[in-house]
Amino acid sequence: MNEELIVSGRNIPGVDPYLTLWHWQIPLYLFLGGLAAGLIFFASLYVIMGKEDKAPTAVKWASFITPVALVIGLGALFLDLRHKLFFWRLYTTIRLESPMSWGAWTLMLVTPFSIIWSASYLRELVPSWDWKYKWLYTFEGWVIRNRRPFAWVMIVLATILGIYTGILLSAFNARPLWNTSILGPLFLTSGLSTGAATIMWLSKDHEEKMLFGRIDLLLITIEIFFIVHMFMGFLASTEVQQEAASLFLGGEFTVPFWGFVMILGLLVPAFLEVLEWKGYRIPAAVPAFLVLFGGLMFRFIMLEAGQITRYLY
Amino acid sequence: MENGGTRTPDPNKYMNPYLAGVLLGLVLIAAFYFSGRGPGASGGPKRVTAAVVEAVAPQHAHHSEFYGKYVNGPHSPLKDWLNFELLGVLVGGFISGALSGRLKLRVEHSPGITSRKRLLWALIGGILFEYGATMARGCTSGAALSGITVLATGGFVTMLAIFGGGYLFAYFFRKLWI
Repeated sequence: MNEELIVSGRNIPGVDPYLTLWHWQIPLYLFLGGLAAGLIFFASLYVIMGKEDKAPTAVKWASFITPVALVIGLGALFLDLRHKLFFWRLYTTIRLESPMSWGAWTLMLVTPFSIIWSASYLRELVPSWDWKYKWLYTFEGWVIRNRRPFAWVMIVLATILGIYTGILLSAFNARPLWNTSILGPLFLTSGLSTGAATIMWLSKDHEEKMLFGRIDLLLITIEIFFIVHMFMGFLASTEVQQEAASLFLGGEFTVPFWGFVMILGLLVPAFLEVLEWKGYRIPAAVPAFLVLFGGLMFRFIMLEAGQITRYLY
Repeated sequence: MENGGTRTPDPNKYMNPYLAGVLLGLVLIAAFYFSGRGPGASGGPKRVTAAVVEAVAPQHAHHSEFYGKYVNGPHSPLKDWLNFELLGVLVGGFISGALSGRLKLRVEHSPGITSRKRLLWALIGGILFEYGATMARGCTSGAALSGITVLATGGFVTMLAIFGGGYLFAYFFRKLWI
């Protein structure tokens, strides 16, 4: 037996001095999870308000993207696991104090529900679609009759999913950049914004496009507010938090963050949405793409930067 | 606040060229003020090329005298003001197109030629121009405009050469336009 004596408490490869455990899988998943949360949120919201015909894309057509985003996101999470075959162990316990447990269970519910949601609209999209079995038709009928309660369940799950993508990071109290409770609402807002942008992009109905352009504009404004406050919080906090913020205020993440997330991913699409609101013709694909790109970049940058911030020096 | 209908400015109404010229001059001064450098264009693709060569053949890029200038520095050649400026040009152009009602996916060409022909010739012209600009150490913006702003002789010479060359050769390529 080779005995190993660790004299220093800091010999933790991959964790100290820098966390180097998370790669592209996690930010991709956080992005897709946020996007799915946004899409489900708006679909449910318009069903609950009884205004399905005002937002047909949000309720019906965009819902087909949700399960795809979730499945790809979950696939990325699975790839990230060191011991892939033990993933089921997450489902042998419920831990209210663990964001991962919250996330695992929420995903466990939200993924099949989102498949059922979109499947219940499949025959509207493809009228010749045949469910083959009678019980599937019966089930479809039951889902259609219970859309409103179903939407209530979904909107709660979507909110948890959206917040959890941020809380997952903020629960790491050893990483000053992540250890701020503003990440929950910030990631939720960003996820809702990417969802609204996707609906705006997909919609063929002018009114709906304009509606979601305005919703997205509001969400972008809130997101910028949260980002500014996040930095104000860091700068008013301890030295490690100030160091974390300095990565974005002159440090190595300054250009990617302010250039690609703030300007290209938030301010430019917001400006284009204002122009669209004012009546100028803007192809919805452009602001929508920028919002999605900004959302993805934001998660990659937060993840990379967060891993190199630390308390111990 | 409800939208009172779509706003469609006349796409054929262009800005007064004298006013546009003055504004362009102010852009040059603003560039010097904010970045300490004049604006350029051809330098952007040059740095992107250097970054691509570095990614594909790092040995060659680092040993080459030409690429070495860009890839042996402390930063990636992509982290250069010209690249961000070009990104800004795209965004600004898009917004300007939206404001003047000219936002449409189309290829501008003479009615005498096809879009494909126009794109092909534009590509050839672009390659030649980038090549020429590299040899001249700058293009219309990087050498001529930015140079003239600081009253550099090279700037005036480049401007005369580009426009003089244009007039000299326009005759041979007139069929692409008229």
